[in-house]
Amino acid sequence: MAELTRRRQYGVGATGGRIGHLLDSERVFGYVLVAPAILYMLLLVGYPFAIALWFTVSDATVSHPIGPFTGLKNLQFVLDDDVFKRALANTLIFTIVSQILQMILGTSLAFLLVRRFRFRRIVRGLVMVPFTVPVAIGAMAWNWMLNPTYSVVNWLGTHLGLLAPPGPNWLGEETYAMVSIIIVNVWRNLPFTAIVLTAAINAVPKEIIEAASLDAAGWWTRWRKIMVPIIAPIIYIALLFSLVFTFTDMTVVWLLTRGNPVNSTHVISSYAFVTGVLSGGLGRGATMSLFLFPVLLAAAFMLLRNLKARSID
Amino acid sequence: MTAATLRRPTHSLGFRLRRLRSNVLFALALAPFVLFAAFPVYWMVITAFKQVNDLYNLQNNPILFHLAPTLEQVQYLLEKTPYITWFINTIEVGGLVVLITLLICVPAAYVLSRTAFPGSTTLGIGIFLTYLVPPSLLFLPLSQLVVGMGLINTKWALVLVYPTFTIPFCTWLLMGFFKSVPREITEAARVDGCSRLGALFRVVLPVSIPGLLTIVIFAFTLVMQEYVYGLTFVSSSDQKLITLGVVTDLVRGDVFFWGSLMAGALIIALPVAIVYNIFLDTFVEGITGGALK
Repeated sequence: MAELTRRRQYGVGATGGRIGHLLDSERVFGYVLVAPAILYMLLLVGYPFAIALWFTVSDATVSHPIGPFTGLKNLQFVLDDDVFKRALANTLIFTIVSQILQMILGTSLAFLLVRRFRFRRIVRGLVMVPFTVPVAIGAMAWNWMLNPTYSVVNWLGTHLGLLAPPGPNWLGEETYAMVSIIIVNVWRNLPFTAIVLTAAINAVPKEIIEAASLDAAGWWTRWRKIMVPIIAPIIYIALLFSLVFTFTDMTVVWLLTRGNPVNSTHVISSYAFVTGVLSGGLGRGATMSLFLFPVLLAAAFMLLRNLKARSID
Repeated sequence: MTAATLRRPTHSLGFRLRRLRSNVLFALALAPFVLFAAFPVYWMVITAFKQVNDLYNLQNNPILFHLAPTLEQVQYLLEKTPYITWFINTIEVGGLVVLITLLICVPAAYVLSRTAFPGSTTLGIGIFLTYLVPPSLLFLPLSQLVVGMGLINTKWALVLVYPTFTIPFCTWLLMGFFKSVPREITEAARVDGCSRLGALFRVVLPVSIPGLLTIVIFAFTLVMQEYVYGLTFVSSSDQKLITLGVVTDLVRGDVFFWGSLMAGALIIALPVAIVYNIFLDTFVEGITGGALK
């Protein structure tokens, strides 16, 4: 009561009266303010996810979204589909190979960017370009660079003596198409890996490194005993994110090859798009998308553990 | 101070040679990375401003101009395609998404970063984790939801769906900003008789304007970058946003209008790239969850 009187006296209570008093309870205030976010996410992420689960066990099509219950028929169909099996394998290949290349090149680039040099900001800006340009646009630029007739990559390659003229048909031959997709994925994600690593390396206190140098610790010992333990948690998070993004992305594949030649370069999400959206097979498409879920769940779990561990310190 | 003390110390020839060698090696190591990253953009510029006869002439060195640069392709883009409409759609959708994001994120981030109530940590982490949910998992059920609401093939479908990825990211970023506002300020406001909500509006928000600005920019650029939901929900040219329009409408059958396509792409890419560069550190901090602190 005393508080209310005081508030009236100053005339600053934004929400006077009963509601204002209720909002002053920490718990009610918390729930009320966080509710819109939770509701939005439940309605547009939770609910659709439930629909997706229903789609996987029903014969849903675009014309009959509420199809009859068909049990595991969709799963059976999807697992018998050779294109899907190939897409599943491709997704794993693209993700793993791109991640490895990104980590190797990203670490090298990070160590170069840590150094102070002239025009550092400009160079950093240029190196960051692939990450800052919308994915669809980057992928389209590469499509043009790898064009069968006007490929500038082939022109440069043959003139530098790296490729035998006339150079490969990058997007038209299976192996080269796979390589192209990996190159564009690496191009796209390398800056992210590098910039997170640079930030991580910069976060290592200089005194520790100097102290280690004074103790005559060699380059390898300094790296392994000091740098790695400090930057590991950050790399871990960066890796998780870029893993999830590469694993679930369909933009690069869709804009480079549309899954061609002869459906050999599809990934899970691009084939789910073809099946679910273009052919209208909601049930089968949703079943395919659901194959992304275990990896997402694992990533979420690892991220969660990491966050929990940090909030305890 | 005399000029003599300001002069740089002169190094021995050996030292300077070693420094030179190290600098050259450094530049040689860095150059491939810069070329790999930036060449596609250079190629976009070249393509966008070349005359058609020059662009499709295989006899020429493709990386240089052989005929005078031209604005023909840009002109085609502006006059013969709905580029202006896409631009306006992007501003509209982006603006609304930013508004929804702010209205939902500000209160959520505030209580999640400030008040401890049962389940607050779990809720905060829960919202963050939804950022991991990709469009490819939800585009099929969401398309049916959008059909049910009569929003299919309209930009309003995007206004509804895009906050699902801006909210998690922006809430998480804002929580970081709010945590850096000293508790004493809000406590002082409360002692002076401000309600909890009053403290948010009168004290915390005014000092968090840089943070709010960052959220606005990120939400807007995330909208500009999105492709999959747009591709799934919108097929009419006049409802498309700019990125989708450029990569779909400038390809007619097997014919690619490469010059105009790259011109359109460039106009979108440059501002987004510049803005991201300015806010890059904030972005990295947001995504690593402040792990560096």
